[in-house]
Amino acid sequence: MSDDEIKNSQPETEPQEAQESKVVETEPEPQELQKPELEPEPEAQPEPQPQEPEAPPVREAPVADGDELLLPRDTLLSAGIHIGTRMKTRDMEPFIYRVRPDGLFVLDVKKTDDRIRVAGKFLSRFEPSKVAVAATRLYAHEPVKKFCEVTGATPLIGRFIPGMLSNPQYPNRVDPEIIVVSDPRADAQAVKEASDVGIPIVALCSTDNEFAGVDFVIPTNNKGRRALAIIFWLLSRQVLRERGELPADQNPKVTIEDFEAKISRDDEEDT
Amino acid sequence: MTERLPLSLTTCTSCGKPIPPGSKSTKFPCPSCGEIQIKRCEKCRKFGRNYKCPKCSFTGP
Repeated sequence: MSDDEIKNSQPETEPQEAQESKVVETEPEPQELQKPELEPEPEAQPEPQPQEPEAPPVREAPVADGDELLLPRDTLLSAGIHIGTRMKTRDMEPFIYRVRPDGLFVLDVKKTDDRIRVAGKFLSRFEPSKVAVAATRLYAHEPVKKFCEVTGATPLIGRFIPGMLSNPQYPNRVDPEIIVVSDPRADAQAVKEASDVGIPIVALCSTDNEFAGVDFVIPTNNKGRRALAIIFWLLSRQVLRERGELPADQNPKVTIEDFEAKISRDDEEDT
Repeated sequence: MTERLPLSLTTCTSCGKPIPPGSKSTKFPCPSCGEIQIKRCEKCRKFGRNYKCPKCSFTGP
């Protein structure tokens, strides 16, 4: 095999969005389909069809049928909130459900759901203006902005300027009682300063994040556009419900689509 | 001579050790029940050690 052929045969690393779209499409896995063809088949079976891949596509939902989730399971799975990365940390092991054949670690949707409920209770105990939400990641800007609009929290969008929490002489300093970060790795400066000041930290963690400095973890896909929109929408709904500003059976006026980061035409053409 | 009062320091919920004043510790109400104050010392935060609410048994982080 020539070098060019070897290069072409190796799949390139895809971005998270592309991986999300694979969630539904990758079943049944082609690798499993190829296995029976390699083995010598007896003549009595004219059409060797592997039986396992022909089973109805199994959704990656480790949830019992009786359990109720905050949103329909299909909505959560189609947004890819359970899709992790190809890396796994020891801290995140309790939240990981399984590893897919392509190497992606899959999160437990039930645990994510439980954590969102608890996070709603936790955040509702603080005064709205004393809750700060940091979002350095681009896809988290819009969800965080909307979350803060709905709940009255303080958004810290874009670059986190050093000293924003810890420098008392900085004019734009904020003084929250709790901080939410969309990714502890991307928002490392916010985590560091909050740790120094002694502010509790709530973090959206994927399978590749560590718990250093984090006080409350919400295991989820923290890179996907749709996943971030759903998580922040659910979080805002839970906070409003816990505060009593929204009945338990109603949704806020803002939709999940409003929480999604918008993609411009230029970005679509580039990707 | 004045009588010395015993110095009582808050203890870390994770490791049970006293938290020295001025350290980078934190305290917050239990995320689940909200009735118990969870206190975490600097080291336990740094290493991501688990804490458990004595009332509702919620385990974090």
